[in-house]
Parts: sequence; C-alpha cells; structure tokens
Amino acid sequence: MALRMWASSTANALKLSSSASKSHLLPAFSISRCFSSVLEGLKYANSHEWVKHEGSVATIGISDHAQDHLGEVVFVELPEEKSSVSKEKNFGAVESVKATSEIISPISGEVIEVNTKLADSPGLINSSPYEEGWMIKVKPSNPAELESLMGPKEYTKFCEEEDAAH
Amino acid sequence: MDDVQEMRSPRTLHGGLEARHSSPSYTLGKRRTDHNLLIPEADLKGLGAELHYTQRGGDITFHGPHQAILYPIISLRSIGIGARNYVETLERSMLEFASVYGVKARAGHKGETGVWVGDRKIGAIGVRISSGITSHGLAFNIDPDLKYFEHIVPCGIADKEVTSLRRETDDMLLPSEEVIHEQLVSCLAKAFSYDDVVWKEDPSFILDNQEEYKD
Repeated sequence: MALRMWASSTANALKLSSSASKSHLLPAFSISRCFSSVLEGLKYANSHEWVKHEGSVATIGISDHAQDHLGEVVFVELPEEKSSVSKEKNFGAVESVKATSEIISPISGEVIEVNTKLADSPGLINSSPYEEGWMIKVKPSNPAELESLMGPKEYTKFCEEEDAAH
Repeated sequence: MDDVQEMRSPRTLHGGLEARHSSPSYTLGKRRTDHNLLIPEADLKGLGAELHYTQRGGDITFHGPHQAILYPIISLRSIGIGARNYVETLERSMLEFASVYGVKARAGHKGETGVWVGDRKIGAIGVRISSGITSHGLAFNIDPDLKYFEHIVPCGIADKEVTSLRRETDDMLLPSEEVIHEQLVSCLAKAFSYDDVVWKEDPSFILDNQEEYKD
C-alpha cells in the first residue's frame, strides 16, 4: 500500500537541525504546567497513567498532567471487558485537538469493567481525570508490577523534570 | 552532548514532506467518520480517487496534487511538549507561512483545529502519537482542485468552505512549488525553534517511518 502511494509523488525527507546556541523551546508554554494535581494514594507510570489498587481491583486512568497536555478530549477508544492488558503495552487511545494518543497500561491483567460514560462524555477525562474520568478496571495478574510504579512525590518530580528538560 | 542529553533536547528533528503529482485520496481518522463522505465509495474510482483509513486524529479530509503534506516525526517527550502544544505549533507554522503571502489566517476556534482565512479552511491537521512519537501532521492547500472537497464534509465541519493559497492570493504570482515547500518547512522549523533545514530525497526513510494505511 505504502509503495503504491509513493510511486506517484515526490517524497522528501527533511531534517531540521539547530545550531549550538539554541534558545529555549516555546518559553511561553511553561506557565500552564505548574498547577497539575497529583493525587495521594495512587501509583503513576512514566507514560502518565495512574493506578488505584483496592483489594483485587486496579482502576486505571490518565493523570491531570496528561489531560492538560492533551487538550480537550473528544474521543476515547477502550478495550472490551474480559480482554487482557499488559504492562507497558497500549490498550486504547484518546483523541484531542485532532491528535490521537495511545494509552499505555501500567500493569497486566484482565479488564473487568470499562467506563462506558466516556463514550458520550469523553470530556470527563479533562474535568475529572482521577474520578469520573477513570478508564478501565483491571484484575491485576501480577500485583508486584505496582511496586515499580512511581508514588505521588516521585511522579510530581518526574513531571517537573520532563517539562523543564529542553 | 552525551546520548541522554541528545534524547532530552534533540539537535535534529526529522520529518517528511509529500507533494503528490497524482493519487488524489480521501482519508479518514481513527473515528472512521465515513458518514462525512457524501458520495458512495464506489463512485470514487470515477473521480480517480481512493479512500484510506488511518489511525490519526481528526475527521475526513482530501489529499491531492498541489497540496503540501508535512509530517514531522518527533518524540514529544524529547522536546517537552504534549499533544495540544504540538498541534498548536503546527497551526502556528501554517499561520506564519500564510503571512509570508500576506494572507491573514487564524487558528481554529474550539473544536475546529486547523488554519482558517475567515470562515474558509486553508490548512488541516491530523496527528497520531504512538509511544510518544508523532506521525501524520498537516496539509496546506497551495492550489489543489477544490472541487474534490465538495464530496466530503471536510474535517466534519459542515457549512464552511475550503480555500487555498492560490485562491487567497488572487492574481499574485506565486513562486514554484519547490520554493513554497521550502518556505513552509522553514516556518515549521522556526515554530519549533530550530534553525537549519536539510533536505534529502530519501523515500526509504519515509517508508520506514510512515504509518501504514489500512483500507
């Protein structure tokens, strides 16, 4: 398919490079980042998903930092109940401002419930990322995976470093 | 710079620019909004066009000759921005480019991502972010056959026209498309705060990185 497409067009690869004294990228955008909330009692992945582990159920969603960086969510694609998710593998996608972004699962397990409200109200992810905007509930197959996730303080620092580093 | 620092603040961003000489096509995004194709799919052949399903965000659009289609392939984490800022930067690139020709364009209002001249859309955006790396990008109308847009509800926004640089610059003499492409890419580079642009005719690079289109 891709070959057929390129046969009849001129394709140019381009490299944009910077010289040694590149000034800060996009300085005007740093303001909005300081105020994302990080909730206690949750674990966080470096791809900005959170996990709330209660007994044998783990609830997963994306953090306030993530929804802020995405912009208004207009569409959410989630797996079906009884399907399985794997740590660090994508399980769905969110679309905002014409960009679809994958959601990565922080843990492995079986999907036992999916937030069906997100089909009609995807904006819940923006307005309530830790509560009403939850995405899936999973029965963890390997609870030890939670140990390798970040706690709230670590995640806060991670976000700050990520936003500052360029 | 050591490797870690290179990843954190890359010296080089890569991407592709596609200039079609033929193969007009309609493309759909992840939401598969094919209700916005206003003619039966079977009729597309008669128009000499194809329909492609992609994993990008956004609604239905048209790609064809005399459009500049740019797709930066960037690790967003490495430049420290998220999806929204990235899309806004793509919009800014097109606004800057339009102003080179004295065309007063604006970014879209809420829910109308893209670049507009009044109520007429001149540039479209549809992006996919996978493992933090961008694919797809933007399409800017230089002088495509705007009649193709009549067969869709472009980007799912009804009752708004589509326009082009040609149409908005009236009887101004436009330079060659090569020059136009260079200018557009320069505007992109500037918007991302990069200075130099190196061009390579390297289809294999693009084939390796470009997303597969699923029918």
